[in-house]
Amino acid sequence: MPDDDLTDAEEPAAAEEPAAADEPAAEEPAILPEHVGMLAKLQADLGDALVEAVSNHGDLVVRVRNDAWHAAALAARSRLDCEYLSFISGIDWTSRPDPPNWDPDAPSSPVQPKEVTYGAAGSDGRFQVFAVVESTDDKIQVILKTDVDEADPHVASWTDVYPGADWHERECWEMFGVRFDGHPSLRHIYLPGEFEGHPLRKDFPLLSREVKPWPGLVDVEAMPGGAGEEAGDETAEAVAEGGE
Amino acid sequence: MGLVEQGKIPKPLTWLMNYSRKYSLWMYQWGLACCAIEMGAALASPRYDMMRLGVIPFPASPRQADLIVVSGTLTDKMAPALKRLYEQMPDPKYVISMGSCANCGGPYWDSYSVTKGVDQIIPVDVYIPGCPPRPEALLQGVVLLQERIQNEEMGPRWRGEPIIVGQPGAHDHLPETAVAVSSA
Amino acid sequence: MAVTEQQQQAFIGKHLAEAQVAVELQDEDMVLNIGPQHPATHGTLRVVVKLDGERVVAADPVIGYMHRGYEKLTEYRSYPQVTTLINRIDWLSSFANEVPFIHAGEQIMGIEAPPRAVYIRTVLTELSRIATFLLFLGEMGAQVGAITPVFYGFRDREYVLNLIEAATGGRFHPNFNRIGGLKDDVPAGWIAETRRMMDKVFESCDTFENLLEGNEIFLARTKGIGIIPGDVGKGYGVSGSNLRASGVDWDLRRDAPYLAYPEVDFKVWTHPGGDSWSRYWVRLQETREAARIVVDLLDRLPSGPVMAKVPRIIKVPPGESWVRVENPLGEMGYYVVSKGATGPFRVKIRSASFSNVSILPWLLKGVYVPDLITILASLYFILGDIDR
Repeated sequence: MPDDDLTDAEEPAAAEEPAAADEPAAEEPAILPEHVGMLAKLQADLGDALVEAVSNHGDLVVRVRNDAWHAAALAARSRLDCEYLSFISGIDWTSRPDPPNWDPDAPSSPVQPKEVTYGAAGSDGRFQVFAVVESTDDKIQVILKTDVDEADPHVASWTDVYPGADWHERECWEMFGVRFDGHPSLRHIYLPGEFEGHPLRKDFPLLSREVKPWPGLVDVEAMPGGAGEEAGDETAEAVAEGGE
Repeated sequence: MGLVEQGKIPKPLTWLMNYSRKYSLWMYQWGLACCAIEMGAALASPRYDMMRLGVIPFPASPRQADLIVVSGTLTDKMAPALKRLYEQMPDPKYVISMGSCANCGGPYWDSYSVTKGVDQIIPVDVYIPGCPPRPEALLQGVVLLQERIQNEEMGPRWRGEPIIVGQPGAHDHLPETAVAVSSA
Repeated sequence: MAVTEQQQQAFIGKHLAEAQVAVELQDEDMVLNIGPQHPATHGTLRVVVKLDGERVVAADPVIGYMHRGYEKLTEYRSYPQVTTLINRIDWLSSFANEVPFIHAGEQIMGIEAPPRAVYIRTVLTELSRIATFLLFLGEMGAQVGAITPVFYGFRDREYVLNLIEAATGGRFHPNFNRIGGLKDDVPAGWIAETRRMMDKVFESCDTFENLLEGNEIFLARTKGIGIIPGDVGKGYGVSGSNLRASGVDWDLRRDAPYLAYPEVDFKVWTHPGGDSWSRYWVRLQETREAARIVVDLLDRLPSGPVMAKVPRIIKVPPGESWVRVENPLGEMGYYVVSKGATGPFRVKIRSASFSNVSILPWLLKGVYVPDLITILASLYFILGDIDR
């Protein structure tokens, strides 16, 4: 019975996860043993600016206060030897308004929960900036996060710590509208200069989605003049027989 | 060649000139995305070897080209450049749109930065479906274009008049297959 | 001091004249626009360079001509639909693109693909690496003016594409990975055929070596050109073969093991040079190494199913996961955030070429215009991977 198999497989996956993802500060050890030393080094530099830390799927996630974002980069670079910048990006934690024509029952139109929840290491508000830095010598990596004010989103720039931050911050500014204080030239990177809006904000609508539903939703289009019309019935039957 | 523009060429001469034109298409490669690699395979790979069809892919500038193959996703940022280079081409000029993105936006139909089809910017002669189309499909597209060139009236093309697809009677002189695929 | 006043004035006058010439020359900086449609930029990269004679004073790459908005589109799609989409980021090694995203999904769901699927994934990843690098070896020759290697590159790449097509059904965009395994097992006879083709790959690597490495023009155009010191490269996030060619011993296949790589014994090639030639050389060695990995894995391919038990409609529980892998172009990673729906809440795509190209303003300062082309070729980027 295929249906039984399906339910069997579904349950363990659903049962295991929420504890790890939703409540990082729960009773099970939130910090893996290999991350304790790394965290202590960061803590020494950042003090109480380090808001929260958690191990998530084998990665250390550290959330720092907005005003300590630059200090966090310096600490990661000097204390943990993380010289390699993987990326800087942002996230908007609000829920997306579903497009009109959206069929919530179709698996191809994913409906996100409407209440706002936050990911690993939590968040204070709508916007977060996060980054990954790695050490190529010690083979470790840290995910750094910081909260950004919704009304006036801004955070310190990393360009003087990691030269590669330049493009990543331009991208983040373009996509989320987060200003990076101290960035040499915050200008459009992907989109033409006259583009309005910040596409990765959840309230930025995809206009094509607004005007028409997903064209792939209909599996097989009815043939013109097909079933129900004159000779249509006979041909439909013939096709069905041939198909079997 | 005032006679050509007025369409006053004798039939055998028209046939001869069309025949010569279709086997010496100078093609400007407008490689944009994934399809560009398949176009490259069609041109440079010994297996497909598009040059045997008389397509010469080496004009350094669109000013020397007869044919432009737009292969890949056209973005709104790129669209003005495409328009500009198309306008630099001398008449008569032909456009092949290669791949779903160039035809209609393809998998990026709902993106905020993708132009939903090259034909919004420039007129297209042959559409090649696929994501990406195989090199064989590009060869087929070129063959179809050559059929069209062989059968076309030279006057309007020389004057730079656009081909209006779907006009009744516009395709009567073409073999049926050509119409079906090229307007698909 | 026996310097007469006359001598002194002559000295000052000469230097004044020289200074004036220098100032005049400096005034005549020329701005050269390369791209966005240029054969040497592999697509739609645009580089605006300021020239002093033949020398580049400042370079500003303008990207975004291939920006298709993947990160936004993933928020509107279900997991199987996202896999179709992300195939097309780095279009030369599509299969390798799928792997980290699928891993991220599997990690949050807490399921594991069966061993046979893991091995086949590894083999196909390495095959796409070979396909990518064979094209690189051809293009590298083309950018210094040798047209022959391109034909060899495209010819030999077809062999590998045939294998990928036979296994997955797609030459280019296989879309073969599923959360929990693979769509299908490899067809009968595929393994023997792959072994045979790997011999051809070794042969063609030798061909490229003979064609290029003995060629004085090739050496003169690439040796000592476009040097990236290791620590500068790290700051810019340069990864993959480009970083290993700068002497940094860093390969995620070994250092952050995934797939079946822990069970394979392979060498990580590095070169201390950091110049265009090193980047070419490292990729050539890695092509051979990839073929060796394929042969090694095929010898030990476990039997069994290729798909774990997963629900028919994939719903990933709430959570987030960061997975990075060693793609042919460098470090590629997905930061997937799920809120329990049939589609991801947010996907951050860390693509290798974006960071590899972000070093250009630093790297191109002071090089000559013809070298600019070889440097771009040796960095080897894919536009879809830069702009996403």
